[in-house]
Amino acid sequence: MGVTERLYAPAILRFLAALTPLFCGLAGVIIANIPISFVGGLVPPPLLGLIPVYFWCLVRPDLMTPAAAFAIGMLEDVMSGAPPGIWTLGYVVAYALVARQRESFAGLAGIAAVLGFAVAALTACVTATLAVALLHDHSPPLGAVVAELAMTVAAYIPGALVVSSIHHRLVGPLRSDF
Amino acid sequence: MANGTWKIARRGNAQLPLVIVLALAVVLVLVGKAQSGLFDTARVRITDAMAPLLEDVRVPLDGLERWAGSISEIFSVYSENLRLKDENARLRQWRNTSVVLQGRVAHYEALLHSVPDQKLAAVLARVVGRANHPFLRTMILDAGTQDGARAGQAVVDEKGMVGRLYLTGKHTSWVILLTDINSRVPVTVAPGSVQAILDGDNSAAPKLDMVLSTATVKPGDQVVSSGDGGLLPPGLPIGTVVQDGNGFRVALLADATQSESVEILNFARAPEAPPATPELPAVAAGLKPLAPPAPAPVIPSSNAATATKLKMPAIPSTTTAVQGTAPE
Repeated sequence: MGVTERLYAPAILRFLAALTPLFCGLAGVIIANIPISFVGGLVPPPLLGLIPVYFWCLVRPDLMTPAAAFAIGMLEDVMSGAPPGIWTLGYVVAYALVARQRESFAGLAGIAAVLGFAVAALTACVTATLAVALLHDHSPPLGAVVAELAMTVAAYIPGALVVSSIHHRLVGPLRSDF
Repeated sequence: MANGTWKIARRGNAQLPLVIVLALAVVLVLVGKAQSGLFDTARVRITDAMAPLLEDVRVPLDGLERWAGSISEIFSVYSENLRLKDENARLRQWRNTSVVLQGRVAHYEALLHSVPDQKLAAVLARVVGRANHPFLRTMILDAGTQDGARAGQAVVDEKGMVGRLYLTGKHTSWVILLTDINSRVPVTVAPGSVQAILDGDNSAAPKLDMVLSTATVKPGDQVVSSGDGGLLPPGLPIGTVVQDGNGFRVALLADATQSESVEILNFARAPEAPPATPELPAVAAGLKPLAPPAPAPVIPSSNAATATKLKMPAIPSTTTAVQGTAPE
């Protein structure tokens, strides 16, 4: 579907296309938190919900709003069993960082783009860890947090290809195309 | 991924909502601190809804795991066989000793009229899911409230205690593992009946925190649940003490990553009912009540002062007279 066709698509389709980033984030959280492990639970699942948040925060911030990041983070809290609000805060803080430095992050390419996402993921993980340490009277195991961060960054490479494909097929033009 | 090839979107006009959403996230964290079970209902409902899918996926996945595990076992099957033969011989010796001791304990219990251990009802459940998150290590069972599972009940496999139920839905339950960072279980270290707390820290061997700093344990001591607080049954085998620097950890008997079927122990002590008729403690204990004291002889009023000095029991009928005539 071309840019022009998408602009003149029925309202319902445009509405669904506008919700695609949110749905992708929620789907990423659900997929990552299905309690099935291929390696006996030795490796924590990646934060798949963070990939759509980072991607669409850069290319379509009008569709990936702070409220959407909040909803995706809250679902991560519900499904991961973490203390309430921990990942919600982590996702929103990561979103805030990317939104504030959007020009810098969007200009990255190749390995630098992966490193850019790693900074966002690190922000989410550090925020969640600090919140748990401050409010719940025990320091979370850093090894598990680092393992989750590593898994998340590793999952970004295929994840970004998937969300990029979804973006080009369903969501439509960038805001700058209008 | 190649962000440089994308057109950069214009900055969204979302600064005000971002501040509000940040504030809401902080409020949610604080509310979550006050009410840690804020999302529990949603969690168990989602798990209940996913249970059929987990059941379907589990079967081929178990086969895949067994197949993958068997590849690595091929290279160690000979040494493993030798080790198991040696272990089997030692366990046979222990079994004989155990049978003799069991008979002796039963004889002593009969002699002492000891209260027998409470029989525990159990629900057999299958593990349909596992999750390993930085802030929670859990397994999901296919038994819920409709099967009699309740939050707080102990979960054991054929080797020992795995954890306890944390959330229970209608068809599924979440288990908080002994290794989880949120797990605290009162235990007894034998021999010596040293009381301690088994403190999970997401490592494979949880820490052992002594209740008394002067208590001494040594590597190889056995760790069982103490039953303190009445939440868990006493005597559930948990593991063996191992040295860890200056402290101690517990090598768990059960391997939660391998458990496929577990038992949920229904340990609900019925509250002790008060006696139907009010009885003296001595009668309730089965002793004969003491006979009432024989009435003392009447003391003449002239001897009242002497009686007072000697602290003899005063007689009610003469009390007034004694007080009225007592010298200053």
